[in-house]
Amino acid sequence: MHVSHVSSAGTLLKVLVALLILTIITVAVSRVDFGGANLFVAMFIAVIKLSLVMIWFMHLKHDTATNILFILSSFVFLSLLFLFTIADWSTRGDTDPTLTQRAPVTQGVYPSSLRSDH
Amino acid sequence: MSDAHSHATPTPTGFVPHNVAHHFKTWEQEFQAAKLGFWLFLATEVLLFGGLFAAYIYYHGAYPETFKVCGEMLSWKLGALNTSVLLLSSWTMAMGVRAAQLSKKTACFNWLIITVLCGGAFMVVKYFEYSAKIEHGTLPTAWFHPHGPEAEVLNALIANGGQPSMFFSIYFTMTGLHGVHVLGGMVVITWYAIGVARGRYHSGHYLPIDLVGLYWHIVDIIWIFLFPLLYLVP
Repeated sequence: MHVSHVSSAGTLLKVLVALLILTIITVAVSRVDFGGANLFVAMFIAVIKLSLVMIWFMHLKHDTATNILFILSSFVFLSLLFLFTIADWSTRGDTDPTLTQRAPVTQGVYPSSLRSDH
Repeated sequence: MSDAHSHATPTPTGFVPHNVAHHFKTWEQEFQAAKLGFWLFLATEVLLFGGLFAAYIYYHGAYPETFKVCGEMLSWKLGALNTSVLLLSSWTMAMGVRAAQLSKKTACFNWLIITVLCGGAFMVVKYFEYSAKIEHGTLPTAWFHPHGPEAEVLNALIANGGQPSMFFSIYFTMTGLHGVHVLGGMVVITWYAIGVARGRYHSGHYLPIDLVGLYWHIVDIIWIFLFPLLYLVP
């Protein structure tokens, strides 16, 4: 009796090889200057790797719709968190000209008792 | 056993039978309930690390130069090695789940032990990386006191308004929390490997192996993102 799908050994091996090749590609593209798009390229490859692991290693391809909905919903809420974080720092200073300089976080904010260099 | 609902799932010869808990009507219900609960737990794991990734996004945006320079102080070779080791362990874990589903006791035990060993190899590499950082004083927040070969570059960054201690705070917090997850996974997988050797997991009851496998893959996925963000800062 199997509730979930039994993956074929061949498929799992192919996924591993694909993941290792994508790791080499990750290192390779970090050496190329894509202008401002390097972060986007790196994350694009990471998302492909994430999809391979989730679909094949985690059997999402053969899982129930409810389970897929649950885990995908976490990524939806995560993207909301990222969206507002990016919106925050990228628009600092747009409304208040005195805030054009981002507030520096200096080491001085830590109590001297915690400092190791005194 | 007297409970009308209590019943064992089909058990291959030589394995320990698994009794479906009395509050479940069928074994399918028990299986799906546990699986849904576990996916919910994994969703909270995604959000736990997600908060730290948000911190990364914020400070990478605020101090791009700092992140670029500090990222180069980590060994991308060790990072790539650890990425490969973790991907390999994800594959051995998936093979272990497959062996459990097919009631292959010895194969399942071996795959799980290889998975734990890969996790151990990952932590050994991490130990050497951490040791070098501790030795050079490139530590989080108040403990940041560089005195290694990188000190000059780091002090120049600070003089120019950079914030290298913030990079190392994020580095240690994210890889540290991830490392704790690896260690936890190793303990649980070892525990289940013993159960496999004792014949507790088989085609009629492979659920725990399946679930710890899902956990191990999520830990792998987190590293898939940490590697390019910390070692090859874009």
